[in-house]
Amino acid sequence: MIMQTALSLLLAGIILYAWAERRRSPLVGLLSMFAAIAGIYLVWIPAHATALAEMAGVGRGVDLILYIWVVISLLLFLNLHLKLRAQMDLITTLARAITIAHAARRSESASRLHEPETRAAS
Amino acid sequence: MRSQYDGGVCIVVPAYNEGRVLAGVISDLKRDGHQIIVVDDGSADATAEVAEGCGAFVLRHPINLGQGAALQTGIEFALARGAEVIVTFDADGQHRTADIVRLVEALHLHRADFALGSRFLGSAVNMPASRRILLRAAILFTRLTTGLALTDAHNGLRAMTRRGAQRIHLRQNRMAHATEILGQIAASGLKLVEVPVTIDYSRYSLAKGQRSGDLLVILLDLFARRLHP
Repeated sequence: MIMQTALSLLLAGIILYAWAERRRSPLVGLLSMFAAIAGIYLVWIPAHATALAEMAGVGRGVDLILYIWVVISLLLFLNLHLKLRAQMDLITTLARAITIAHAARRSESASRLHEPETRAAS
Repeated sequence: MRSQYDGGVCIVVPAYNEGRVLAGVISDLKRDGHQIIVVDDGSADATAEVAEGCGAFVLRHPINLGQGAALQTGIEFALARGAEVIVTFDADGQHRTADIVRLVEALHLHRADFALGSRFLGSAVNMPASRRILLRAAILFTRLTTGLALTDAHNGLRAMTRRGAQRIHLRQNRMAHATEILGQIAASGLKLVEVPVTIDYSRYSLAKGQRSGDLLVILLDLFARRLHP
């Protein structure tokens, strides 16, 4: 009972996390949510887990739950990876803005430097 | 050799640690009288100094972002400066400057917005067999994903009109940009032509270029972009 409660709490936490993430990564959010709900169901009705495990050829119900947990972990890794990519997009935008602004300033000051020469020549 | 269509042509050269060969590339481009923008992609060597010394206008990324990011920065800056035609040109010395004129003339002749260099219509000097296989796979992949029936893919020598360049928004910072740009060209619905060009493979350019292992990275990058639009 203690283990079932602890696992349920952890999986509930994942459902909340997946719900919060679904806008940023809809696919990962929905898959994580589905896997977590399935996990809670099987934690509380282990007989179904065993039946499902036998159907899937896994063997024991506990193994099936373990596999679901692994799948959830992989989805969370994927989500983190996508977040890192999103961060990289922001860094790129920022670096590009800095680069272009800096170049425009240099270009401006260079043309200002050349101005008196042009006037003197004319 | 200058073209009658040279007005407003801007050459964008993305460069990362190319200090060894860049002087030769820029000198050739300057000799042909082109406006040159070198995008130094956070190089650790003297790439920027060499480019400036040769008379190119240099943009410096504060950190290394990748060739795709450098190209996009160069294209945006060239557009802001009023370029009418933008040519992308690799910094490793594998392109020939004479081909630029052919690309730009092809844009005008065919009223196209994109002219893409093709080494398979032209020639590829010293191209290893492994590179040929890799490129054939890239051509097939491009056809399957974009619908474009091209003879070459991942050729860094391209020309585009201002209108065409405004449709390019590269978000693939690294090598996958070469596939992404073709996807954006196809999506733009604008006309493209392929132009025969020559690629000179040297030991240096082969060492800097793509390897077969990069194919997997490119595929993963493209797939990840689908998950995170």
